[in-house]
Amino acid sequence: MHVLDRFDCSTPASAGALTRASFLRRVALGAGATSAVMVAVLGLPPRPAASTPSTQADEAILNFLLLLERVQAAFYAQARQAGALDGELRQFVDVVAEHERAHVEQLVEALGDAADPPPRVQLESATADAARVGATAVALEDLALASYNDQVPHLTPAGMRPALRVSSVEARHAAWARDLAGKVPAPLAADEPLSEDAVRAGLRAAGISVQEPP
Amino acid sequence: MSLPGWLAPYDRDGAIAEAFGVFTRRHALHAAAAGVSAAAGVHGLAADAQAASSSDRGDVAVLNYALTLEYIQAAFYSEAERAGALRGPLAEQARVVGAHERAHVAAFRRVLGTQAVAAPRFDFRGTTEDADAFRKTAVAFEDLAVAAYKDQIPLLQQPAFLAAAVAIHSVEARHAAWIRRLAGVLPAAHAFDDPLPRAEVARLVASTRFVVSRPRTTGAGAPRLTG
Repeated sequence: MHVLDRFDCSTPASAGALTRASFLRRVALGAGATSAVMVAVLGLPPRPAASTPSTQADEAILNFLLLLERVQAAFYAQARQAGALDGELRQFVDVVAEHERAHVEQLVEALGDAADPPPRVQLESATADAARVGATAVALEDLALASYNDQVPHLTPAGMRPALRVSSVEARHAAWARDLAGKVPAPLAADEPLSEDAVRAGLRAAGISVQEPP
Repeated sequence: MSLPGWLAPYDRDGAIAEAFGVFTRRHALHAAAAGVSAAAGVHGLAADAQAASSSDRGDVAVLNYALTLEYIQAAFYSEAERAGALRGPLAEQARVVGAHERAHVAAFRRVLGTQAVAAPRFDFRGTTEDADAFRKTAVAFEDLAVAAYKDQIPLLQQPAFLAAAVAIHSVEARHAAWIRRLAGVLPAAHAFDDPLPRAEVARLVASTRFVVSRPRTTGAGAPRLTG
């Protein structure tokens, strides 16, 4: 089984996969697809209480989201250059590449001087062939969405509105990528958020190395 | 996306306006004349007045609005499944998405308890019995739900409600992409999705004439479809 499947909640996770993946699998396998939203709706915090929203906290959150957008933009740009794509997968890569580029631009503009410098992104064999491009797109889009869902509730209203305009587009990308890969586009009734640490681990598991300047 | 005022007459009995909390003078007069104070009891905004704090009150209003949108979607997919006119990937979409929308209804009803607005009665005017009409209607509903959630989420005060609404918002976006692909249109047409204000959503829903009666609590008026 490919490491990317660890982040596909419709596929049974291998032994030793991340706790989050095991949890998602349990939910997907029938422990109740609605339990996640029930838990949240019933007043249990999705994670330990975070700090009060502030402009300063927004900058840290938006910089992490910028990192994810830059990783996605780098991936799709390389996938386009590598060629070897045709049909709807090529259309998907062309359309989504432009979206991610626009997301990067908007975040850089919003952050101004507070924007982090671009990281070095190494994609290894992620764009080697159509199958790898498709599988990596599924992993990246699901990870990006899970990160938005985790971070958005901690933004100030001023930071939240623009982030929400992007997060649903990431969700559309994720559903499209999953459909192209033969996976259920919307596997759960409520999307699970993923912490920054879990998302970084997910990128590593997908064979993507991100080196940030000091 | 705004609709002309001539669509307003299709909101029979002010059901849409009531379900979406858009109070009109006509509705207020109608309610007063009929002496149906009981109607206020099933109305989400009426329940607001009993809530403890202003932030709770605001959250209840938002959740009841979301619940109303979920009622419509759940009933739509449930009816389409029962009608049995869908085949293949489209039937699969209706089955999976219908289960999600029913789960959303159950979650909101559970958390709102006695403050939950009741389900209206629906007439989907044949759109659940024809694959092409179903596709077009489902695309409209899902894109509308994404835009509606996006507009309302920043208004929520309680972190748990915020997290739940965010988690549902992205699922609606997945649904939208899924059905758009089945309808032969780009699943993600733009780099940014725009929010849609509540009054605009109410106008669009009213234009469908799908909601045919306000929620009732007793006997003969019980919802025909509750999702």
